[in-house]
Amino acid sequence: MLSRYIPIGANTNYADFTKYLLLKFVEFVKLAFKTGRGCHSIYCTYFLLFLCSIAVVGCAEKDEFERDQVGNFEALWSIMDEHYAFFDYKGVDWNEVHQRYRTRVSNEMTDRELFDICGDMLKELRDGHTNLIASHDVSRYWIWEQWPVNYDERLIDQHYLNFDYKRASGIKYQILPSNFGYMYYGSFSSSIGEGNLDLILSYLSTADGLIIDVRDNGGGLLTNVEKLVSRFIDQRTLAGYICHKTGPGHNDVSEPYPYYFEPTRNHIHYLKPVVVLASRGSFSATNNFVSIMKSLDQVTVVGDTTGGGCGLPFTSELPNGWRVRFSSCPIMDAQGRLTEFGVAPDVRIDMDLDDRTHDAILDRAIDILTAATRP
Amino acid sequence: MLSRFIRSRENANFANFTNCLFYKFVELVRFVKFALKKQRGCHSVYCTYCFPILFCLLFSSIEAAGQEQVSMFTVDAGYASIHDSYLTPITYDGLDLALGYETVRPLKARPETWLWQLQVGADYNHVENPAKNNDLDKLMGDITFGMQRQWRQLVAHRVDVSVGPMTQLRAGIVYNEVNSNNPVSVRAHWNVGATAMAAWHTRLLRKPITLRYQMQLPVAGVFFAPEYDESYYEIYLGNHKNLAHLSWWGNRFDMTNYLGVDLHMGKTTLRIGYRNRLEHWTVNHLKVHDFTHSLVLGIGH
Repeated sequence: MLSRYIPIGANTNYADFTKYLLLKFVEFVKLAFKTGRGCHSIYCTYFLLFLCSIAVVGCAEKDEFERDQVGNFEALWSIMDEHYAFFDYKGVDWNEVHQRYRTRVSNEMTDRELFDICGDMLKELRDGHTNLIASHDVSRYWIWEQWPVNYDERLIDQHYLNFDYKRASGIKYQILPSNFGYMYYGSFSSSIGEGNLDLILSYLSTADGLIIDVRDNGGGLLTNVEKLVSRFIDQRTLAGYICHKTGPGHNDVSEPYPYYFEPTRNHIHYLKPVVVLASRGSFSATNNFVSIMKSLDQVTVVGDTTGGGCGLPFTSELPNGWRVRFSSCPIMDAQGRLTEFGVAPDVRIDMDLDDRTHDAILDRAIDILTAATRP
Repeated sequence: MLSRFIRSRENANFANFTNCLFYKFVELVRFVKFALKKQRGCHSVYCTYCFPILFCLLFSSIEAAGQEQVSMFTVDAGYASIHDSYLTPITYDGLDLALGYETVRPLKARPETWLWQLQVGADYNHVENPAKNNDLDKLMGDITFGMQRQWRQLVAHRVDVSVGPMTQLRAGIVYNEVNSNNPVSVRAHWNVGATAMAAWHTRLLRKPITLRYQMQLPVAGVFFAPEYDESYYEIYLGNHKNLAHLSWWGNRFDMTNYLGVDLHMGKTTLRIGYRNRLEHWTVNHLKVHDFTHSLVLGIGH
């Protein structure tokens, strides 16, 4: 009897329901104005409206996938299918991937077995920003683990800084004997204070040039990238382009939006020659930092190609509580190029693993600054 | 007829009532002065005019003061369900808490037929996913103003029904601590719509009570939503395109229902009731479907 009056079922059709509600409401108002006095139909309609509203409010949004192993696999595949931004750029046929991996999944398998299969499926995307996160493990495609490290902190501390350096806002800094400043920033997750930066750059201002070392920096906050870059520009500068998925289709991507960085006002700027040291471990926000710095006239990038990771990652969730991180918003450099596979250095050089007293990349940076400042 | 006045007296705000009486008394004195001035000040004047007028004015004073006036602080506690596809495709559920203040007053220009209602509130939801390994926090604030045409004393002079327009501003955030670049979903909407209320005045254990049902139904407005996977970082960088959306029942449906009883204890009124709130919208391939079911406790006059 109730269902006769309340057009709400398991699969709620909100368009029909709202239409029904609107008609009932108009009917009620008309009747109320017409009669001016209460009649049974008014109260019946009122009561009906109340019941309808309880029914519609009571309808919880039903999750699309079951919580079993197959349901979780399908949820993961769908989340990536609808949100991942680089299928076409990387030439990945995601439907083919589904066919290949789906046959390996059954509801009888353990969580660890399912996790390994899902992790392998995500590695097909060759994306360092794509992880499956469970209580017992994190799946990853960290390609830089397979490349030369090209950074040895102990070597620099011992043979270049003589264990004598300053440290503020996660930045290690000192003036080298060659009178070039040296800054090591190990993570863009370390917050940078404007006051700290002023003190650092003020201290380094007497140096003839500056080396910014972001090797083995796995990224962090893009707002820290802006803070740092803003100290090395003296005018509004095109930093790059950003876009995002606009829908679940693989090609549903927004027009690239150009974004600019402004020089920080009333703070110290450093406009002398700068060398940025990069390695494969320079990933994500660091990749973004290197790509922007590389576009500045006074900057030279030395070392190895960066690790890439130009897609701003979003996080989603499977029914069993595992989380998945994936690239969702592509960020391009100032030339409009994707840097998902890294930013190539201006001067390509690796460290010599046999030489435990010299950092070949840092030495080359000193040579470049020497040539630029003392012709 | 008498019960009408008696009930009005019970519901009357005493301060307003005495205030009203005072002004009516001043009117009466002015009338007498006027009559004496016209040399018609005799007993017949008092008998013919003053006493009936006095009684009429007295009862009309009570009647005017007896318009429903409510000022109430409320606390809601109950169940909340949150589905926000920008943060997660999974529906979370858990606790709903809310604080609110409500005032209902007759409209000065048309005190007999129109009333206005102002509601200000804040609500907090703490909800958990079905796997019980993550939670969301939602904090919202709202202000609602409505005016209602009232039909009073229907059905044996016990029921008041009112309908009218309303406008609401509601904003807040939903926060998912573990998400990377989509940790927050900002909610903001302004809308206009309709509100309807039915109040039944009766007695329980010889105490006057008012049973009340109210529905608030936004119809159209403006609300904020980012694009499908647009990051707030991109918005921060200056891309403000396609963030504001016109709402109508095709893309957004909100509704609030309240059903409860006001227990009038002298000057104090206690409230106990049930409230549910629905927020549903789909835009830019994003979907939000939140609702609450809560017990309402309140105190006011």
